[in-house]
Amino acid sequence: MASIIPDSPKAVLQLERLSRRRAGRPAVQQLSLSLQSGQVMGLLGVNGAGKSTTLSMIAGALRPDSGDIRLNGEDFLEHPELARTQIGWLPERAPVWAELTVDEHLDAHGRLRGLAGATLRQARTAIIERLELQSLTRRLAGVLSQGQRQRLGLACALLHRPALLVLDEPANALDPVQVAALRALIREQAASGTAVILSTHLLAEVTAVCDRVVILHEGSLRHDGAVHADDHAALERTFFGIAMNGSTESARAA
Amino acid sequence: MSHAFTDIVAVTRLEWRRLLVRPLAWVLAALTLAWLAWNFTLLLGGFLAGQIQRAALPDGPGFIDLVGVPLLAQLAQLAFLVVPLLCMSTIAGERRNGTLPLLFAAGMPASRIVLGKYLAVQGWLLLWLALTLAMPLALMHATHFDWGKLAAATLGLALMLAALAAIGVACSSFASHPALAAAAALVVALALWSVNLGAQMAGINGGAINWLAMSTHLQPMLRGLVSSTDVVWFVLLIVLALALAARRLSADKERN
Repeated sequence: MASIIPDSPKAVLQLERLSRRRAGRPAVQQLSLSLQSGQVMGLLGVNGAGKSTTLSMIAGALRPDSGDIRLNGEDFLEHPELARTQIGWLPERAPVWAELTVDEHLDAHGRLRGLAGATLRQARTAIIERLELQSLTRRLAGVLSQGQRQRLGLACALLHRPALLVLDEPANALDPVQVAALRALIREQAASGTAVILSTHLLAEVTAVCDRVVILHEGSLRHDGAVHADDHAALERTFFGIAMNGSTESARAA
Repeated sequence: MSHAFTDIVAVTRLEWRRLLVRPLAWVLAALTLAWLAWNFTLLLGGFLAGQIQRAALPDGPGFIDLVGVPLLAQLAQLAFLVVPLLCMSTIAGERRNGTLPLLFAAGMPASRIVLGKYLAVQGWLLLWLALTLAMPLALMHATHFDWGKLAAATLGLALMLAALAAIGVACSSFASHPALAAAAALVVALALWSVNLGAQMAGINGGAINWLAMSTHLQPMLRGLVSSTDVVWFVLLIVLALALAARRLSADKERN
């Protein structure tokens, strides 16, 4: 299915016929889409639909078998170093180096992203304040609760002010107050021009913060459309139609 | 500064920090240094006891021959166990904890990740070597020092530690579990040390099998003889092991 967003030279991200096999079966097949600056795209799909594989490829952690990824018009597969400054990624379950404190984590992430000296210190202070991590800075990452780890992962993803923010189920283990704060943060990032991809299982999450929703099923793009905050039921019909029957047509019929 | 340099430094700092806060590194350092210190006192006692007899010999063995080099030889024996334990988590641990993708997502090639981790381990090992050397060096004003022989033995030990660390990192890159990486590194290192044992027992002192053995290249340096062939052998081994590690790590991006 063609993307509803026309390809533009100003697109932050463009995927063209992206494919990847995992564990002997196609995890992502011929996926094409583009994402503009300031846009928030929800990525939906049942377990095993290919969401995390897609996000890992976009983040540069996994190489596609075929297809192209363009970041701000540049070939990302040819220049993986673009990830350093342009992409912020929160992987599923927010992996951490258990032996490091929250402060040391941010420091290490900043250095891996090319920040140093006063720039790193300022960025670290700003993100600690923004995500209210002050009380955790000296705590070892290994003893954080899952919700705290998610916040640390989010801080690491945002530290270097990326042009593209890739969030894989960021609301996992967050309490309702933290979920509301996460939504505000995503909106704030979008308003400042960051393109955001939000993978989630929660349809309410998509209607609350996304401008657009992409639904994957068995590794293929099955739906790409605008999201209207007041039409949660329509999104639900579309999603369940695809999840149960595998096609948008059957979703419409339902 | 180039990206390559800053990437390597960033990974080295991260690995070094993780190494320093892990109890394993401290326990290994404390136990091995205590063992070496005890052996140093024994060697020193033996050296002092035989001083009068050796005074009669015009070219008798000195302090470095009887204390310095045997102490470094003890360190070499301990290294077979210590280096695999120190290296086992470098890559296998990251893979197991799911943190390896965080390094890939920073956009750096596998070779820089491997080199950064290798340099962190190497830093710890050089510190270990320096602390061991401090024991005989503490007596440098009290006895005659053969600086040339000590320098040659130190170079040999540093090269051996560097080679064992490269093997350890390579095994860690291939293993799914740190314990497997440690076991594999120990076996590879022991095999490389004693590959020529059969040939030696048969009285063959040359040939490819002897050239392959690590002992062939370390022992002359412990005796004070440095040859470029021996140095090149260690450098080749280090480069080969690190290249294999980088290749395997790079394949993770393709395979997972």
